[in-house]
Amino acid sequence: MRIRTRGFGVLAGFALIVSACSSSATAVPIATAAPTTAPTTAASTAPAATASAAPSSAATPAPSFAQMPNLKIGVVTDIGTLDDKGYNEFSFKGAQDGAIAIGVTDPVPSIVPKDASEYAADIQQFVSQKYDVIVTVGFNLTAATVSAAHANPKIRFVGVDQSPECITPAGANDAAFACKGVPATALPNYTSLYFAEDQAGYLAGIVAAYADKGAPTPTGVIGAIGGTTLCAPCVRYIQGYGLGAKSVNPAIVVKSAYVTHDFSNAAFNDPAGGKAFAQTFIQANKPDVLFQVAGKTGNGVIEAACAANIYGIGVDVDQWLSLGAPANACIITSAEKHVESAVAQAIESIAGGTLAAGDILFNAKNDGISAADFHDKASLFGPAVTTALQTALAAMQAGTLQTCPTTGCGVYAP
Amino acid sequence: MTKRSSLAPNRPGPSKVARAWEILAVPVVVTLLSLLVGAVVILGSELIVTGRKFDPFLWFTAYAALVQGAFGGTDAIVSTLVYTTPLVFGGLAVAFGFKAGLFNIGAQGQFLVGALGAVIVGVALADAPAPIAIVAATMAGIIAGGLWGFIPGFLKAVSGAHEVVSTIMLNYVAVQLLAALVSGPLKVPKSPSPVTYDVGNAAYPIVIGGTGHIGIILAIVAAGFVWWLLFRTTWGFEIRSVGANPDAARYAGMRPKLLTIATMTFSGGLAGLAGTSVLLGVTHSMTSAFGTTVGFDSIAVALLARSNPIGVVAAALLFGSMRAGAGLMQINAGIPVELVDVLQATILLFLVASPVLRRVLRLRGVQAGIAETAATNALGTEPTD
Repeated sequence: MRIRTRGFGVLAGFALIVSACSSSATAVPIATAAPTTAPTTAASTAPAATASAAPSSAATPAPSFAQMPNLKIGVVTDIGTLDDKGYNEFSFKGAQDGAIAIGVTDPVPSIVPKDASEYAADIQQFVSQKYDVIVTVGFNLTAATVSAAHANPKIRFVGVDQSPECITPAGANDAAFACKGVPATALPNYTSLYFAEDQAGYLAGIVAAYADKGAPTPTGVIGAIGGTTLCAPCVRYIQGYGLGAKSVNPAIVVKSAYVTHDFSNAAFNDPAGGKAFAQTFIQANKPDVLFQVAGKTGNGVIEAACAANIYGIGVDVDQWLSLGAPANACIITSAEKHVESAVAQAIESIAGGTLAAGDILFNAKNDGISAADFHDKASLFGPAVTTALQTALAAMQAGTLQTCPTTGCGVYAP
Repeated sequence: MTKRSSLAPNRPGPSKVARAWEILAVPVVVTLLSLLVGAVVILGSELIVTGRKFDPFLWFTAYAALVQGAFGGTDAIVSTLVYTTPLVFGGLAVAFGFKAGLFNIGAQGQFLVGALGAVIVGVALADAPAPIAIVAATMAGIIAGGLWGFIPGFLKAVSGAHEVVSTIMLNYVAVQLLAALVSGPLKVPKSPSPVTYDVGNAAYPIVIGGTGHIGIILAIVAAGFVWWLLFRTTWGFEIRSVGANPDAARYAGMRPKLLTIATMTFSGGLAGLAGTSVLLGVTHSMTSAFGTTVGFDSIAVALLARSNPIGVVAAALLFGSMRAGAGLMQINAGIPVELVDVLQATILLFLVASPVLRRVLRLRGVQAGIAETAATNALGTEPTD
């Protein structure tokens, strides 16, 4: 069963992480996945090689982590709030999980910046307080994180979604993106974790296509709403979603729209705006299923979908669990990327001294993505869906399934 | 509507201490009261949020960390100054508008457009000699912000369009303009996410500590300049007169329309300088997430300062220190950054209620001057007493 019930958001504890890792034959301790060169694209198809060297140590049962109870770990999130039921929240929880796993008893503090000019200063706060590990969340913090890593070689930096790493040969942030520096030697204290969102979207697309087929009066249309066209991961989710749906039903119509074209509040932090946007979208396109890729704004999208009696698909985490009843009434699945597990694994590897520098991709091969459980909607789906999902996942693991366009993956095209 | 004759000489009599108290009482008491409210909010949320050990002195831990993060050591103080700098420019921009009876709520948009101007010229001159690049990029920021202020000023002068409405709308235009440019023509082609090139030599040199850029000095100079402009020049006198009573000013031969345009343009230029100081002094490049709360915080700064340029520096320092201390507060006390928003919002609330406060404090309130009258008028409330 590839769609697993995971307690993200509710009982996010160490035990879960361990069981999740050890129960899967594909779980790979990240240190062994160590790529030493930055992939030139974030498309899941391109960096397949980065994880292929991994299985050698995958046989290790229930990894026992090196204990480093005195490690001081701090988190700097992106703008927004810590309890966004998404990116910031689960990266932070991952850091907490990792800290517990390696025996740290002090609470893991976090700083939430108020605006983009604050990133460097907030990272500096942890540097001044002599923290050993600093986790930063989101690609907007890339430059600030790389610069801080370059200036503080003794501190270990972990960036979430800051790939591909681009540094000068001296290890400084490369503003011109010539990317001549080799991470392993030039900046060995910095690692970026990134995800194959298109693979998760692909799985969600399969579920959506089956849900469309099974709807009382199928319209043959499914929809997706992204937060902003500037968010490459959002675009990848939706690109994968379209390909996944068409793999089931080539005739299906996939409509997508983005709430905004900037990083204003409307993109990820405005549920009311998301709801209004989705209502218009639903009226115009009459989809049977609506996939939200817009953080908190997307929670309003789900609300509109439920109100319009169509199905909703959550994003990043199992939103059936994180939103809870009654908000989750129409959620059939969620396109998950396992941010929490990835960050926790990174911290565990730091304690073990095995975290490699550079980009580390989390995809189907190392349990980086999944489609969430159907929960109470399981009765909607026959065995065909499960089979289709399993087949797709196996093909992703084998690296033979294309889940993102060869050109323009992650790039919004109107 | 009755206007106070504050242009007339001050009443004779009160000692220096009493006069200082009359000026400082409201801001100081308001700040203390909001800290008290903040402490109550912390205690209250401790009761609501479960899973944490109840700590009756958490508010003290939080405020201690706030103060330590803002003033505990050279780095902290420099950080406070860096956060204060754009608030001084922004506060001056809003205060300058208040003096002329204009409510420039568009400091936000002018900030962004100013930063855009600075990054465009800064990137173009990244390899030019530093003094040329710095001056040119700074001028570009001021001009771009000024242009963004000129538009609502011009619209008000020719058509009577209220500046509150037009500046708010221009704020949105600025956000979209920034996003379009940063993800379009200004984007580094090879970058996976929208970001501009570095401004290189146009970056402000560091003069204090590790991060204290030259914009800090520029901010103090700007405050002095605005004070001089308002209180020592004919133009400043005309602006204050128009703010106090446009009809009387027109009768006296002044041209309110021209002054409206000039004031909004100058105010926009100052707000643009705020954006410029952040871009050239702190970020050095622009991502599409480049946004700010400086524009709106500036309104609070100007109100707290009663639109006095010197007061703006003090009020900006207060808000800047809260921003600088917020990081350590989050680390040491686990209090979210939103507490700073609570404090700022409470300060604003108490300021709106300042007539009540003044009565409680037994202040006569006569010293408030046109500045506050203009400010409260702009906010749509009638001055009392």
